[in-house]
Amino acid sequence: MSDIDIKRISYLAKLKLPSEKEEFYANSLKDIIKWVDNLKQIDTSEVKPLHNVTENTESIRNDEVEKNNSVEDVLNNAPERANNFFKVPKVVE
Amino acid sequence: MKQSISQIKKALKEKKIGVAELYSEYANKAKLNHNNSYNLVLEEDANKSFIERSQDRYSSGEPLPLDGIPLGIKDLFCTKGIKTTASSKILSNFIPQYESFVTQQLLNNGAIFIGKNNCDEFAMGSSNETSHFGPVINPWKSKSSPEDNLVPGGSSGGSAAAVAEGSCVASMGTDTGGSIRQPASLCGIVGLKPTFGSCSRWGVVAFASSLDQAGPLTACVEDAGHILNAINKHDFNDTTSSNHTRDDYVSGIHDKINEKIKIGIPSDYLEGVNQDILNQIENTKKVLSNHEIEFVDVKFKTTEFALSTYYIIAPAEASSNLARYDGIRFGIREDGESLDDIYLNSRTQGFGDEVTRRILIGTYVLSAGYYDAYYRQAQKVRRLIKEDFQRVFKEVDFILTPTTPNEAFKIGDKLDPISMYKNDIYTVPTSLAGLPGISIPSGLSSNGLPLGIQLIGNYFEEKKLLQLAALAEKELAFNE
Repeated sequence: MSDIDIKRISYLAKLKLPSEKEEFYANSLKDIIKWVDNLKQIDTSEVKPLHNVTENTESIRNDEVEKNNSVEDVLNNAPERANNFFKVPKVVE
Repeated sequence: MKQSISQIKKALKEKKIGVAELYSEYANKAKLNHNNSYNLVLEEDANKSFIERSQDRYSSGEPLPLDGIPLGIKDLFCTKGIKTTASSKILSNFIPQYESFVTQQLLNNGAIFIGKNNCDEFAMGSSNETSHFGPVINPWKSKSSPEDNLVPGGSSGGSAAAVAEGSCVASMGTDTGGSIRQPASLCGIVGLKPTFGSCSRWGVVAFASSLDQAGPLTACVEDAGHILNAINKHDFNDTTSSNHTRDDYVSGIHDKINEKIKIGIPSDYLEGVNQDILNQIENTKKVLSNHEIEFVDVKFKTTEFALSTYYIIAPAEASSNLARYDGIRFGIREDGESLDDIYLNSRTQGFGDEVTRRILIGTYVLSAGYYDAYYRQAQKVRRLIKEDFQRVFKEVDFILTPTTPNEAFKIGDKLDPISMYKNDIYTVPTSLAGLPGISIPSGLSSNGLPLGIQLIGNYFEEKKLLQLAALAEKELAFNE
């Protein structure tokens, strides 16, 4: 196992770890990755990955428009809004 | 013994108690919140019309299956107009504009909600200590140090403690790797995780979508059947919801089992476990052997890989599911100069330590260069685990295991994440295979704390599983 670049991983996860906690999380992640490493000893070259345990029981509905959530209800949970929009800082110069 | 749903319904039908009076009895206890098992207890006003309509149905002689039954709801189910936090700071102000499928079914069946039960943050934990709103206290105390507060287990710890303390008749929980069964075991109650795909995940705050499953925590096995009857339905809004035919899970639950039953006990599960836990298995064997039930030794090949597989797949799915919490559309926003700063600040300040840890694990195992080695490999091993169970189920009808490797421990005692994760050693394999499992209380440890056994059934065979669990419950006589 190569060293874990905690800065890169946390940025990919959109988290900004306080510098005093970086080592704590890096060590914790290292321990856990080491712990799960035993899976590498299993030969799975002939095995297909399993995505859904109850394979073939799903059903798909027709794509029909239903009126459920109103714009007002949805926007009520928004931290900041402007008219019928979510408000964020300027992203285009 | 606590009153069962059938007993309460009988009293309501015979007018020995009214719906309003029954509700107050439970709600008053819940309001005290002695064990911090609720994040929110509903005001009576919010339930007034439900109570009146329920009473009307009793008065007209046509009550619904769960009419007037006071239930707790894990704070992971979206409840329309009622704050739903997943015990996280990031959702601490979130009021859903819709009702989850499962809780809607409960309302359709006449149930009345007492409040939202505390749980581990985003259901990530085995002790209910990761909640933003503080730990839940197990209502049980140990003989050796009765002054200590113990964990109720997790993540549905508030649900389990609420049922055990008697502030609701039953509670809806969710189980990803043991989150219903483990707390049920540590609190001396019944917890059922149905087959994956039985109960819709629509409106349940997502943790790991290929594993999450809703299920009841109840005082007795029959009550689990009553709740399952209400919630076990196909739902088009959840693509993993199965469209198999559902049974009536209560009718015939106490009938004599006529067919010969073979139960497998995985000897590899019992290596190195303490005597208290072994006693539960031995005792169960003893009391059930009088019923022409045969016990055989079974061996799994994949047990030692189950936790590793789980701790790759669950965090991977969690890191993806929790990407939606960005401070833009709902939840807590922490300000920042740029859009990116808002994401970073809201997420960093909104998530607790364990959730952060799991997002990091998930991001790592999904990141370029590691995906095949970890995530894809775990998905392949997951198939081997499922096939291992299918092989064993060709030889036996059910599997019997302990639910947990230990009794309830002291709050603050397990600080190392891996030792916490090992709490779910007996429940995680079943979750990975998607099989139904039920924990029922089987006895007390030498320290006077409740312990449970887990019975595992084949896919969608909850009816047979509940029938066997009801028999085991009667013979083990934990509640008497």
